Amino acid sequence: MTDSGLPTSEHLEHLDTDTIADLIENLLPAPEAHRAREHVKACPDCQQTFDALVQLSEDLAEEGRNDIPMPADVAEHLDAVIVSESVLRSSTVGVHSLVQIREEPRRHLPKLLGAAAAVVVIAAIGVGVVFATKDDAPGGAAGINPTNVPTGVPTLTTKDVGPQAQRWLESSSNPLLHGSAAEIACARTFASSRPNPQLRLVQPAKVNGQRATVIGLQGESARDVQLFVVTGCNESGGVADPFYDTTVTLRNR
Amino acid sequence: MTSDVSRIGTAEPIAQPVQHAGPVSYDQMDDHELLRLHVAGNPDTFGFLVRRHRDRMWAVAIRTLGEPEEAADALQEAFISAFRRADSFRGDAKVTTWLHRIVVNACLDRIRRRQVRATDPLPEDEDRAAELAGPAEEDPAEVRERRLDVLNALKQINEDQRSALVLVDMEGYSIEEAAAILDCAPGTVKSRCARGRAKLLPLLRHWQTTRGGSDDSGVPEKTAAEAVGTE
Ligand SMILES: [Zn+2]
Repeated sequence: MTDSGLPTSEHLEHLDTDTIADLIENLLPAPEAHRAREHVKACPDCQQTFDALVQLSEDLAEEGRNDIPMPADVAEHLDAVIVSESVLRSSTVGVHSLVQIREEPRRHLPKLLGAAAAVVVIAAIGVGVVFATKDDAPGGAAGINPTNVPTGVPTLTTKDVGPQAQRWLESSSNPLLHGSAAEIACARTFASSRPNPQLRLVQPAKVNGQRATVIGLQGESARDVQLFVVTGCNESGGVADPFYDTTVTLRNR
Repeated sequence: MTSDVSRIGTAEPIAQPVQHAGPVSYDQMDDHELLRLHVAGNPDTFGFLVRRHRDRMWAVAIRTLGEPEEAADALQEAFISAFRRADSFRGDAKVTTWLHRIVVNACLDRIRRRQVRATDPLPEDEDRAAELAGPAEEDPAEVRERRLDVLNALKQINEDQRSALVLVDMEGYSIEEAAAILDCAPGTVKSRCARGRAKLLPLLRHWQTTRGGSDDSGVPEKTAAEAVGTE
C-alpha cells in the first residue's frame, strides 16, 4: 500500500508509518507534506502514530545514555589483549624508534621501561621487524599515517616458528593472545581438543607464504610450550588444521 | 615467572611515570593524564582507560552490531587502534569523544566488510541474551528488560538504518556529524532514521506503552500499517 499518491480527501486513507516518519524528518515534498500534516491533524489514529514516533526517538535517546555492562568473558579477553599489546609495544621499542626517528625526530624511546622490560628489549633484538605493529586501524581519527609500519602478521617459515615463538613467550608470563576474537576462539576450540588445553600463545602469522595461526599450548613441564601452526582459524567459522608442530623450552628469566 | 611489564590493573605505577611525584593511584587520574602516560610509554595506563570506558563502548558496539561476537571483535580492533594511535589524540578534545569515534568507525568497518562479503546472516545466539542484559545484581529487572528489548528490536532492522538510528537517536550525533561518519548525504541519514523508526515502532510499542504509562493499556493498538486503507 503506497500513500505517495495521497488521497484527494485527507480522511479517506490513513498514512502509512513510513510517510509519517518522513513527515517528521521533513523529507516529504512540500505539497505532500502539507496534505500529510492536514491528515494527521484531523485523524486520531495517524496523530497517535505521529506522537509514538516522536516518543520513540526520545525513548531511544534515553536508553542510549545508559551503559551496558560488558560481559565478563569479553572484558577478560579485552584485558588480555591490551596486556599483550603493551608487551608487544615494549618489545618493539627498537623498531618503533626507527619509524619514529624518521617521522618525528623529537620523539625519543620511552624511558620508563623498568628492568623487566629491558629483558624484553634484549629478547626483541633478534625478532626485528616481524614484531612491528600493524595499523590498519578503522579510519576516522586524524593523525599520522603510518604507511611504513610493517604489518602485525609476521612472516615466518616453519623453521622460524620455534625460535620466534620462544622469544615472544619469554617476553611475558601471561598468555599472548593476538588476532580477532574469532581467531582466538578457534584456537581455544583446537586447544580444548588436546590433552593439554591451556593456551599460552595465539599469533596470526604468514607461515611459508600462507596465512596461518601459531598456537602455543602449555607443555608437560612449566617451561615447555607445544607449538602448532594451523590454517583455517582466520576464516569465519573455520576449524584449525595443523600442518606443523614443535615444542620449545623457555629459558628461565 | 612473573613479569611486571605485563601486569595490568594494579593500582600502583610500576615504572615511575615521567616526573610523577609520589605514588598516585591511576584511578584518580583523569583520562587525559592516563593517555599522556600511555603515550610516554607507561605499560598500564591504557588498561585503566579501557576499564573505565568499556561499558560505554560496549553499549555502542552491541547496539550497532547486534551480535556479541562481532561487537567484541570490533571493540578489540578499536581499542588496539586507539592504543597505537594515542599520540594522534588532540588534547583539546574529550578522550571519550575520541574513543567513541574510533569504536563507531570500527563497528561501521565491520558492517561494510560484512556487506561486501554478503555472507549468510549471523547465527542467533539466544544463550547470550540474558548475559547481554547485564548481570542481574547490577541493574533492576526493568532496566535489563528494556535494554534487551531495544537490542532485539534493533537487530531486526537493516544495518544501514540501524547504524544511522544508533548514531542520531541513541548517541546524540547531529545529522551532519552522522553523515560525515557514515560517509553519505545528510538526507540519506534522515531517510534511514525515519524508515528505521517506522520499522522499530511496532517492535517497541509494548516497551513504549509500559514505560510511558499510556492510558489505553489493555487495548491492543492498531498499528498505522494495519489501519491503512481500512476505512
Ligand atoms: Zn489517518
